Amino acid sequence: MANSLKIVTICGSLRKKSYNASLARLLPQLAPSDMTISAAPGYESFPHFNQDLPVPADVMVLADAVRAADGVIIVSPEYGWTIPGALKNALDWISKTKDQPFKDKPIALQSASVGPLGASRMQYHMRQTLASIDALVFVKPEVQIAFAKDKFDPETVALTDQASIDLIRQQLEAFGKFVRRVQV
Amino acid sequence: MSNVITICGSLRKASFNRMLANALPGLAPAGMTIKASPTIEMPLYSADLQAEGFPPAATALGDAIRAADGVIIVTPEYNYSVPGALKNAIDWVSRMKDQPFANKPVCLQSATQGPLGGARMQYHARTIMVFLDAFVFNKPEIFVGMAQNKFDEKTGELKDEATRTIIKQQLEGFEKFIERHKHHKA
Repeated sequence: MANSLKIVTICGSLRKKSYNASLARLLPQLAPSDMTISAAPGYESFPHFNQDLPVPADVMVLADAVRAADGVIIVSPEYGWTIPGALKNALDWISKTKDQPFKDKPIALQSASVGPLGASRMQYHMRQTLASIDALVFVKPEVQIAFAKDKFDPETVALTDQASIDLIRQQLEAFGKFVRRVQV
Repeated sequence: MSNVITICGSLRKASFNRMLANALPGLAPAGMTIKASPTIEMPLYSADLQAEGFPPAATALGDAIRAADGVIIVTPEYNYSVPGALKNAIDWVSRMKDQPFANKPVCLQSATQGPLGGARMQYHARTIMVFLDAFVFNKPEIFVGMAQNKFDEKTGELKDEATRTIIKQQLEGFEKFIERHKHHKA
């Protein structure tokens, strides 16, 4: 058995009862045996990106975590048919750090929304942004959980929908293979 | 007669996009006044924060958009898309009752040091504007590529004549677009 892959999750929602945060928390349990998944450091404290400012220490902490990981899973809601501003602000900061950590980094995308499209519009905009920072974005299967209200427990916010859980397992397994294939 | 505000997506002092926004009052047709919007700097959006009330900066920006006849978004492209700070401001405003961008005439401009002038950002911004139900002006589009050659970096003045001309055309077109929209509403 090869070394365990170290994967970090970055969540695009800051609210406590977020479906997407719940999804990110679930991933360690669904990971294949050769993969460990943990949450990356947060970005809530990042100021608004401004080229006049020095890179804040917290940005370096997240950038280092991305650099140290074998891969990243971005789990995010869709706001206004695209990427949440807070998450985009974090990516804008990280993209400006030296030895830009997303370069050649394997990335998988997951999202949940209460509507029918599962935040797919956010994912396709995210793919364009990740192209700009030269990440290696995993293709299929895509995890876009639509009608989240019916698939997460209203009290605990835990994902209860078995089809979604199975699909996530498939994605994580395929993502693990992808990470190993593209690793130098 | 229209009152228009500019929302600038860059926060740095020597921003080419801020220089561009600053050039607009001098290029506007008679009858159009153009002023800068209140700041886009506001806390990072969270529904938990919203439950405690909108931040004053979000309310000020929402009110300014509502009061304007039209909005010109002048912004750089970050990582092939909309700057996070600007998107965060839109995320706040989009949650307001009597959503300020609904049916609002909106026009886009961008400057970059590369050759594409922020085009990739503008087409993402157009997607967002569909969600917001804004009324987005089409052509001419303003993509100021190679901005470092078109502005005086010391005075901030837009000196490229071809760019000044196309901006005048856009603002004239936008003025008519706003007037037409007013008639529709009436």
